[in-house]
Amino acid sequence: MNTSAFPDQVVTLDIIGQICPASLLITLRKINEIKDAIHQGDLRLDVLTDNRDAVGTISEAVANMGYVLSTEKREGLYVLSISAVR
Amino acid sequence: LTIATFQIVLAVLFVGLVSGFVMHRADFCIAGAFRDLFLFRKTFMLRMVLLLVALSMLLFDAARRTGLLPFYPFPLPGAISPANLVGGLMFGIGMVLAGGCVVGTLYRAGSGNFPAMASVAGLVAGSGLYAEIQPAWSSFHKSTMLFPGMSTLPQLTGLDPTWFVAALTIPAGFLIFRWAREGSLHRETAVEGFIQPWVVAIVLAFLGLASWLATGMPMGITTSYAKAAAWIESCVMPGHFDGLAYFKAAPLDVVLPNGYRLIGGPGAALDGIAVIQFPLIGGILAGSFISAVSLREFRIRFRVPPIQIASGLAGGVVMGLASRMAPGCNVWHVMGGLPIFSVPSILFVLGLFPGAWIGSGLLKRLV
Repeated sequence: MNTSAFPDQVVTLDIIGQICPASLLITLRKINEIKDAIHQGDLRLDVLTDNRDAVGTISEAVANMGYVLSTEKREGLYVLSISAVR
Repeated sequence: LTIATFQIVLAVLFVGLVSGFVMHRADFCIAGAFRDLFLFRKTFMLRMVLLLVALSMLLFDAARRTGLLPFYPFPLPGAISPANLVGGLMFGIGMVLAGGCVVGTLYRAGSGNFPAMASVAGLVAGSGLYAEIQPAWSSFHKSTMLFPGMSTLPQLTGLDPTWFVAALTIPAGFLIFRWAREGSLHRETAVEGFIQPWVVAIVLAFLGLASWLATGMPMGITTSYAKAAAWIESCVMPGHFDGLAYFKAAPLDVVLPNGYRLIGGPGAALDGIAVIQFPLIGGILAGSFISAVSLREFRIRFRVPPIQIASGLAGGVVMGLASRMAPGCNVWHVMGGLPIFSVPSILFVLGLFPGAWIGSGLLKRLV
């Protein structure tokens, strides 16, 4: 997926080092908080995590909610970029 | 250090290293298996646990029938008592709060996760706490004991274990076959170096057998935490330590096929328990560390929400206490006792479900 197609304005959520399932719950809470801006295409949410399980569970959850997701590994961390369908 | 001791240490270290490596790769979380059933209505990891138990059941029985197992059932399978159920229930609460079971917290700690390290410390503290309530709990355990001298369903019914294996292999095999066909044993993920959890379940079943062949028992970890607590207490408060009867017991005394006499208990001594458990703990930590470093994913982050560290610590304390009360942890009961139809293990696992349900409710309020 081409990341440049994503909105420029980015909210970053750092959940590095956090336990399961807090990683997923906190991400879902954050999405809920800013969902209007994401839906309007103004914003994307970048989640930084080192929790291997959370990469799978967050991806599955946001896909089920109809968001677009791209995953990238950067310096040993996983960056999950969540945005609206365009 | 004799050759027999060295052989056992090497074998257990190997089992630990491989377990830690593959469990880190798959994030094989047994606590999550029970928790996610209640928290997210997801049963993916429970399917993996069923695969692990079903395959262990077949392997253990095949090994028993071919005369490979030094003991059957293994030593100290435990007495049947409601204590098993209470232990399982408390353990279920603890593992959900800690975000990992006894091995889950170890392989996460090995990859640098700080709350998991807090859980390991909590496990030691909880095991030490047990020594304080042991006289009362032990008398409860003894007074509620059912069928003394027997622990497994084959012993209770007088039937050959193979009948139970056959009766359970058919429905378990049918389920696993159906899941495999519909693709629900497979997990899609973007993480690097992922090993499918069903592969890990199969590897762990074989490692469980390897442990039984090498040490006469399935994998065990938590008595070592009691040992660590005993050692710390004997240094910090020797007077109080001397009064604790629990740390003086050495319930294990068996001779392994290679001639090693395995004697041990929860006391501070470097005994047989240390020989069969320390290399396992060290191996799991090292295995997950190697896995994380090779993926450039090893990282210690101390700056995490304090409530998660507290939850990890508290969960560890509850698990440590529960694994002495049951007695035995989830690894011992799920991977060891359940596959040979040990009733204490069945009761422990039955307790895990309501425990995980309560734990999930608490966790939702906490984070």
